[in-house]
Amino acid sequence: MTEPLVQMRGISKAYPGVVALRDVDFAIGRGEVRALLGKNGAGKSTLVKILAGVERPDEGSILMDGAPVSLRTPMDGIKAGIATVHQELSVVPELSIAENVFLGRWPKRGGGIDWRAMEREAHAALEVLGLDLDPRQPVARISVAQRQLVEIARALRQGARLLILDEPTSSLVAQEAETLIRVVRRLAEQGTSVIYISHRMDEIRRVAQSLTVMRDGRHIATTAVGDVTNRQIVEMLLGSTQAEGEVVRSAPAKRSPLLSIRGLEVAPRIQDASFEIRAGEVLGIAGVLGSGRTELLQAIAGLRTIDSGSMTLSGSDFRPASLRDARANGIFMTPEDRRGEGAVMMLGIDENLVMASWGSVSRGGVIDRAAMREKVTASIRALGIKLAHPSEPLGNLSGGNQQKVVIGKALNAAPRILLLDEPTRGVDIGAKRQIYQLMRKAAEEGLAVVFVSGEIEEFCEVCDRVLILRGGSITAEVEGEAIRTETLSELTTGEQGVH
Amino acid sequence: MAETRSELYQKFDLRHFLSGRANEIGLLAAILVLYAFLAVFASNFMTLPNQLNILRDAAFVGIIAWGMTLVLISGEIDISVGPHVAFAGVLLASLAQSGVPLPVAALVVVVLGALIGCFTGFLRAFFDVPSFIVTLALWLGLRGTAQVMSDAVPIVIMDFSFQRFGAGSLLGIPTPAIIMLVLFVAFSFVATRTVFGRSVYAVGGNAEAARLSAIPVARIRILVFAITGALAALTGILMASRLGSGNSGAASGLEFDIIAAVVVGGTSLFGGRGTMLGTLFGVIFIAALVNGLVLLGVDPFAQGIVRGVVILVAVMVNIISIKRMRGRM
Repeated sequence: MTEPLVQMRGISKAYPGVVALRDVDFAIGRGEVRALLGKNGAGKSTLVKILAGVERPDEGSILMDGAPVSLRTPMDGIKAGIATVHQELSVVPELSIAENVFLGRWPKRGGGIDWRAMEREAHAALEVLGLDLDPRQPVARISVAQRQLVEIARALRQGARLLILDEPTSSLVAQEAETLIRVVRRLAEQGTSVIYISHRMDEIRRVAQSLTVMRDGRHIATTAVGDVTNRQIVEMLLGSTQAEGEVVRSAPAKRSPLLSIRGLEVAPRIQDASFEIRAGEVLGIAGVLGSGRTELLQAIAGLRTIDSGSMTLSGSDFRPASLRDARANGIFMTPEDRRGEGAVMMLGIDENLVMASWGSVSRGGVIDRAAMREKVTASIRALGIKLAHPSEPLGNLSGGNQQKVVIGKALNAAPRILLLDEPTRGVDIGAKRQIYQLMRKAAEEGLAVVFVSGEIEEFCEVCDRVLILRGGSITAEVEGEAIRTETLSELTTGEQGVH
Repeated sequence: MAETRSELYQKFDLRHFLSGRANEIGLLAAILVLYAFLAVFASNFMTLPNQLNILRDAAFVGIIAWGMTLVLISGEIDISVGPHVAFAGVLLASLAQSGVPLPVAALVVVVLGALIGCFTGFLRAFFDVPSFIVTLALWLGLRGTAQVMSDAVPIVIMDFSFQRFGAGSLLGIPTPAIIMLVLFVAFSFVATRTVFGRSVYAVGGNAEAARLSAIPVARIRILVFAITGALAALTGILMASRLGSGNSGAASGLEFDIIAAVVVGGTSLFGGRGTMLGTLFGVIFIAALVNGLVLLGVDPFAQGIVRGVVILVAVMVNIISIKRMRGRM
């Protein structure tokens, strides 16, 4: 076997009060794509930060091509050929693609920038990635996926031999994710090594040869992707004691029709959607991005104008005229963008939990503190949120716990229909499981829970019934045991799955 | 069950307690340092009459500052309050001159003040006009109206008993200071204990999240400006009472003293963060600083430089602390 490109030996790192890494060994070969998995706090981000020179290890050594290297600053990392592309991209939208590819290292001629050479080389750098774009147009005009590729092109131009991609597909449309996966494969063929951080199993199986699982700052296992099942991976991630149980679906007899929708039209994406939402079930809505799944939820929640169609809520005609109207009728939606729309990060966890139900903990506009504390304490218990103090800012919590607070806020508003738009986006596997449990529990208590997700495999874990949204209408319905990734994948895209 | 219920809250966490009040503790320390310095170097600073003077001066900043704190927390700004004070004084005086009883005139002025605030809030909430622009227009327009109404000559108010409000005292404490402190208690309660107060924080922290939580965002925005408008009118009445006349040139630059006091008090110009106690400290700090500079015999022009530097330092501390907070998120 050839010598690995990078070897980390016995790496340990402690922050005040937390041990982030304990004696971790990690090695990656040339042209290898390695998936790196772990819950939040498992140590994966510390590990890649050490590789990038952002953090320094307390103990241990790093070797490149067999020789020890010292990565003390981010500059050292770049010089050693290690580049990181973060979830939050660092491109300048107002500058052109070419300027972004060369950011800060623009080729000079005379006293100015050599525009022609820069544009030519930028175009070539993008072509390597299979992207044919005019390098003169501003980055603001291209899609998020293309911006990501611009950033990868920049890293390659700087001589990156090891590329670290941190959840690269979390904000991409399915098709775009495909493009990225192709790019990663192509780079690997050309000899670039890639560390691929992701929570999506199907993606990992397609892009990576090997995977490394971390837990509690320790290296748990490194293995070829083909040698382990998804279930084994989850067990490694969570520790065997927490491994999942089977989905306990509610008995169909316990579900009763609550909202029935006929011929719903919401311009421009929903043309003619008819379906039923039942109390006591978790209903999934599957569709590719751009299929209008978010718009569908928004229409029901009173956030979008309904162009035509009829709705019947518990037997009487209903058309949500506004958010307040929908709320008054027991419909509550949690938005996809947690940070931007879901919660107020600066305010306390407690206030976020009661923000949509102030009426229940106040009298005449004055807050009843005892009632609020009681409600908040009950919520925190039910949601299983770990915190230092109920009134600490929500922004201090991890993404998964923040999402639980957003769901808790909705539940405190005592809805009959709970619409969840991508509630598990960007949260780790442990938190995902807990969110599934919350959804199941809400359904058991008689709520109608409607669940939208871009990750098809999620439906199998939690839904009683899944609707397929395609071409603006509901094209199929899958129930119970028939809910399988392959089936849903075929139904949403109309193609045979790649599985 | 009762003992487990609020156990999460009962657990006293010193670090949590201090980190939530770091701003107020720092300000209190700054005030103490300022007082110690002035007590030593400025003769007469620590005398009772001078301290009461500081309180009276503070009131003309403080009363509006409570409303301004809400405006800033909600992510807005109101720079029209200085001219609003002058306008209110002139309107009161001219109403009184034309025979309207003073209590009725005062009521009219306050209600109109609230309506002017509503106008600002309405344009902000429904037409997305930045509040800086709306209040800049009012800043020009209100002073101009006051000048036109009075020909830029003070209109004397003949009722001398009226002067008790602005210039008089109650149990030795200046009346405006008493009004300021009563309103402070009321606004502290509103900001921390009412649904409206907490909604102001939510709107300033994340307006979209507030909207999706069915908080009436537009109503909140209109209300914070209406409150501030009413407080500006009240201050205008007190100022007219103190001067014995309605003066279109009064309260020049007051808006910046107020905004400075609120920002020095730790309220974020970006919204979502701030406390009434912080603003109280900010008001006292600025009033004591201004008073001390005069007593020290500092050249009036140089006073401006010192105030400018102090405000800049305070705002920088504010921004740095916000960045730190974001860093932890």
